[in-house]
Amino acid sequence: MRKLAGAFAALSIALMAPVAHAAPQDVANDISMHVMSPFCPGVTLHDCPTENAAELRERIVVMVEDGFTRGQIIEFIENEYGVATRATPDPGGAGIIVWLLPGIAALGGAAVAWHFARRWARVPARPEGYDPDAHITASDRRRLDAELRRFQGET
Amino acid sequence: MVSLAGLGGPSLVAAVVFAIAALALATTGALRDRPAIAAGARRALISSFGFVALATLSLLTALGSHDFSLDYVARYSSRSLEGAYTFAALWGGMEGSLLFWTLLLTGFGSLAITRARSRDPRFGGWATAVLAGIATFFLVLLVGPATPFAELSPVPADGSGLNPLLQSPGMLIHPPLLYSGFVGFSIPFAFAMAGLLSGRLDDTWFTSTRRWTLFSWSALSIGIVLGGAWAYTELGWGGYWAWDPVENASFMPWLTATAFLHSVVIQEKRRMLKVWNVTLILLTYVLAVFGTFLTRSGILSSIHTFTEGPIGKWFLPFLALMLIGGLATIVARLDRLRSENRFDALVSRESAFLANNVLFVAAAFAVLWGTIYPIVAEVTSGVRLSVGPPFFNSVFVPIALAILLLTGIGPLISWRRMSRGAFTRVVRAPIGAGIVTVAGLAVFGVDSVGTLTAFGLCAFTAVAVIGEFVRGGRVYRMRGENWFDALVSTVSRNRRRYGGYVVHLGIVLIVIGLAGAAFKSERHALLERGGSMRIGDYTLTYEDRIQRETSEKQINVVDIGVSRGGEELTTLSPQRNFHFAQGQPQSEVAIRTTPAEDLYVVVTSIDPDGAAAIRAFVNPLTWWIWVGAGVMLGGIAILLSSPVPVAVTGRVRREVREPAVAVR
Repeated sequence: MRKLAGAFAALSIALMAPVAHAAPQDVANDISMHVMSPFCPGVTLHDCPTENAAELRERIVVMVEDGFTRGQIIEFIENEYGVATRATPDPGGAGIIVWLLPGIAALGGAAVAWHFARRWARVPARPEGYDPDAHITASDRRRLDAELRRFQGET
Repeated sequence: MVSLAGLGGPSLVAAVVFAIAALALATTGALRDRPAIAAGARRALISSFGFVALATLSLLTALGSHDFSLDYVARYSSRSLEGAYTFAALWGGMEGSLLFWTLLLTGFGSLAITRARSRDPRFGGWATAVLAGIATFFLVLLVGPATPFAELSPVPADGSGLNPLLQSPGMLIHPPLLYSGFVGFSIPFAFAMAGLLSGRLDDTWFTSTRRWTLFSWSALSIGIVLGGAWAYTELGWGGYWAWDPVENASFMPWLTATAFLHSVVIQEKRRMLKVWNVTLILLTYVLAVFGTFLTRSGILSSIHTFTEGPIGKWFLPFLALMLIGGLATIVARLDRLRSENRFDALVSRESAFLANNVLFVAAAFAVLWGTIYPIVAEVTSGVRLSVGPPFFNSVFVPIALAILLLTGIGPLISWRRMSRGAFTRVVRAPIGAGIVTVAGLAVFGVDSVGTLTAFGLCAFTAVAVIGEFVRGGRVYRMRGENWFDALVSTVSRNRRRYGGYVVHLGIVLIVIGLAGAAFKSERHALLERGGSMRIGDYTLTYEDRIQRETSEKQINVVDIGVSRGGEELTTLSPQRNFHFAQGQPQSEVAIRTTPAEDLYVVVTSIDPDGAAAIRAFVNPLTWWIWVGAGVMLGGIAILLSSPVPVAVTGRVRREVREPAVAVR
């Protein structure tokens, strides 16, 4: 199950990831989009407009240029500013539920909808002698046929 | 003599008394089926609105006259605050925004029940009771823990002023629109509850509130887009949506309300999904109030901290009462909410709407879950965690793309049933457009699966929706009209359907703009005067800095020359300002916008020696987000101009089904 959640998370991120860039500033920008800002509540380091955040972003660029990996940089920020800077819960451990629950809810909802749709689609048998066109008069029928012929002729 | 500003507190006390009276009278009138008592309740609610309006006028007067003896005025305004922002401070803080919310609630409620007064008194009575109950809750907050009329002593010479980020034209329109959306949903919610409580379970509740639902959804939609535009032009991070808890709070009810707008069509046309529809409107209103709770409780970390206060705990029992009470009422009426029809086939527009509803609600759940998970984690493990944009993008975007696919498929499928051959015929062109788009982008080097999927689906949906206009127009062409007249006739004869399609086209344009973010680039550099930096094809040169001061702030305008391939394009002038009252720096963004891309420049700091730290972004296709919003607005206008359907009662339906009997 844990592997499934990890694979789901990785696949989703990979699907939505922008085209990869190699420049240190691009790598640093991408890292800052995956770290919550210690200086602005509720937004990523990338989006935080304070000068402290700008300094930390600059520090990340330097770390990238110095050869630190993405994982090492995120770990450094986490050690420095706390676990709340991690922008996504770890798919391992209890964090698995964060990733799985929306998918489970969507699939559950789809299953319930499918169940009802199939039940509603079972049309009850028509009573004997039922004629769906019984209430259409002969003149209405002629007019309808003429309009349909005209419409089909045009298209 | 009592000044107008001094009338605020007593007015709120009178308003709460009248709201309680309206609640008591409306409940009694509805239970005893006494129209006279229900009419009294209506007048009491209107009186409550009158007193809330007086209290609002009183606070506006205090803001306008810089009456710093009121704590609220001292905290959210100052003598140097410019013009309209002085009055926008009404919703700049927690207490004032609650007063504004209550003004809208009692005003909308009075209008809705006055228009519905000719209906069944039991129905009207319950609608009044629900609205008066909600108003009472907010008014109790306003006379108690969140009063905007608390006095301050000693009286300061000047106020703290409005947060600099809020001093933007967006402040004048974004919050009122969001509040109108949130509060507007109280009308369909109250009428749905009234239908359930009075046992009047025909179409009355949703036909009589259709315009309110559309208005609220429209206000919320425009409010959300304007919030994005405000963030984009004001906050200086080059984006428009950050999945902040307060942004999510406005987005969740929008998602469920959008699901409701679609599923209610099935109830109207096929008399199905009755339980689902009342549940959706209940969820929408509960989520709207939940959003208010999130914004004001401070329970989650948000950049929108300016509206926080100590009233969060008051909301939890109110939310629980609404949710549990609403669900219990629905369960009690389940036997009378059965579907009157069945699906004729699984491949039908009804099924597409059902799938669309599942996806919208799943999307709302995903956003809710990601928003509240930090609280859940803290309660269960004691550790404060974060759930940020990477989670929401990963979980929400695939669902959104599936919704986009259904936006294209829905109009192609007919009501009741459709043969496979007919479906294949109509879907051919949209699929072709999608494939050509994906192939074209791949040839030009786009290799992100997500981006290709988004653009492919945009092409698919756009062609599907435009095809509907063409098919509709052909019918009028057969009468000899030219294409323009034929399209006008098509839209004007069925404004609801084609207004909806115009909204869908707007959504496609917005998605194109959002998908463009995949090609975004960003650079930052510390530039001396005369220094240059490159971003994409552009060269930015720091040409000059102009410094000046007003009573409110020190303004630093940095002139940045923009050139491309040696050709001078323009000069951008971002600012880095310092607000004296708040002791806070703030950046003003400069943007060169074109349909292809935005060049977005912000000064993040200026060194004492004059060197400027520049952050520059190239944001491809962002322009289309705002164009899409404009198209959506056009569609909304068409939708709002469509005639309201007449409520169909059980008796009328029987007569329609059995015309011969009825004639005889």
